[in-house]
Amino acid sequence: MTSDQRLRQSRLVFYEDDISKIDKILSEFLRLSGAKCALLVDKEGHLVTKQGEVKTLNMDTISALVAGSFAATKEMAKLLGEEHFSALFHQGERDNIQLSLVGDRTLLTILFDDRTTVGMVRLYANEACKKLVNIFDESERRMKEEGPRELDLGKGYGNSAKDKLDNLFQ
Amino acid sequence: MVQINFALKEVNCKIVFYGPGMSGKTTNLEVVHQKAPEENKGDLTSISTDGDRTLFFDFMPLDLGKIAGMQTKFQLYTVPGQVYYNSTRKLVLQGVDGVIFVAESDPDKMAENIESYENLIENLIEYGKDLQDLPHVIQYNKRDLPNALPVEEIDRQLNRFGVPTFEAVAKTGEGVFPTLKTLAGMVLESINKSDRGGGRGPSRSPRPQTTNSAPSPEVAPQGRGASAKAPKTSGRGPAPAPRQARPVAAPRGKAPVAKQAPRKGGQPRQGPRVAVQANAPVKKEGKGFLVAFLVLLMAAVAGVAYLVMQQQGF
Repeated sequence: MTSDQRLRQSRLVFYEDDISKIDKILSEFLRLSGAKCALLVDKEGHLVTKQGEVKTLNMDTISALVAGSFAATKEMAKLLGEEHFSALFHQGERDNIQLSLVGDRTLLTILFDDRTTVGMVRLYANEACKKLVNIFDESERRMKEEGPRELDLGKGYGNSAKDKLDNLFQ
Repeated sequence: MVQINFALKEVNCKIVFYGPGMSGKTTNLEVVHQKAPEENKGDLTSISTDGDRTLFFDFMPLDLGKIAGMQTKFQLYTVPGQVYYNSTRKLVLQGVDGVIFVAESDPDKMAENIESYENLIENLIEYGKDLQDLPHVIQYNKRDLPNALPVEEIDRQLNRFGVPTFEAVAKTGEGVFPTLKTLAGMVLESINKSDRGGGRGPSRSPRPQTTNSAPSPEVAPQGRGASAKAPKTSGRGPAPAPRQARPVAAPRGKAPVAKQAPRKGGQPRQGPRVAVQANAPVKKEGKGFLVAFLVLLMAAVAGVAYLVMQQQGF
């Protein structure tokens, strides 16, 4: 397998039907747990999707920091003989963050305050993670059966990109 | 790893500035942040030590806008350059789509350039990636040094894959945008080509590697604690007047300290700062790594908490 093929196969691609299923799970989770918002972030720091009170949050930076902090704790876990820590909790004065590893590629990031408790959040987060893993497994199984979908980024993606770069970096 | 989200109509790519310590990686990112149009850039977040040396990473999102209907975004990262921080460099390299290698032009730093380049190759191998196939460019920074090595000489020793190179004086901004623009184009081209089932990028002729210098000694902080600061975030628009920020997270037993010290080199960073002092002695192995990662984790968490509270007006 060439390195291009390997990269293509390992690339993270999310389709509309997958995201809408994920959004439903996150909305249901927020309703049950009372958390403020839920973000699904991939381990490289890219935001996949979000639900809840997200308007005031800097998504890009939070996603990068969450991924970095998880990566740091993974190394710590290895030093202690664990594969990774599947859940992390950070307590603030008003807001708290719960991180849960979903499958092998994404992190469920939950922001909550004193409207709920960490126990409620963890209880429903575990349920949500199981459902999300099912979606990822189903998506992977579908890809294996049907083969990877041809990614159509749109006509002239490459040429349009050059024009945008010229405008941005003038 | 490029993330393509058809639901949100987004393409997300990760670019990392790599290179030896103090070569100008963070300076490059600061220049990009200063000069990029407001509507295209996000905040610049830095997790660094009291001495303004990158401890974990600097991060800045750059939005190219809609390309063929897809919102195309770059996440720009820098890594800590010191040999000591190899473990954290590896973490930041995860999922990288393109690398800008920032090399020193100082003849005394040539060995560090080569060591860092080889370190990049090794770290990528751990992720199953081959630098020869990954879009990357080399920037020869600090060309204003009076004793700067000729470009041909650095090229001969360092550019083993014949990739595009750029001369730069990052502290004045010279060469920064051309470097990033070329690499961004290469990354987008690689997405485009691989989706069309295309082959590799432009062929590069490998050059024989010439090593004519001893490896640099490992840097071990002797008795000096690792002081970490909560990430500094530069917002959009004019820099706000420095204010005494309310301290957020603190390691057990230590009081947080708010700092407004200007950056070394005379160029102050924008935005409020909160410093979290963690003066833990650091060793090279086992327990030392554990302490170092705890410090990094505290800094990252403090950053997230600070952002959340800042944006909610607390």
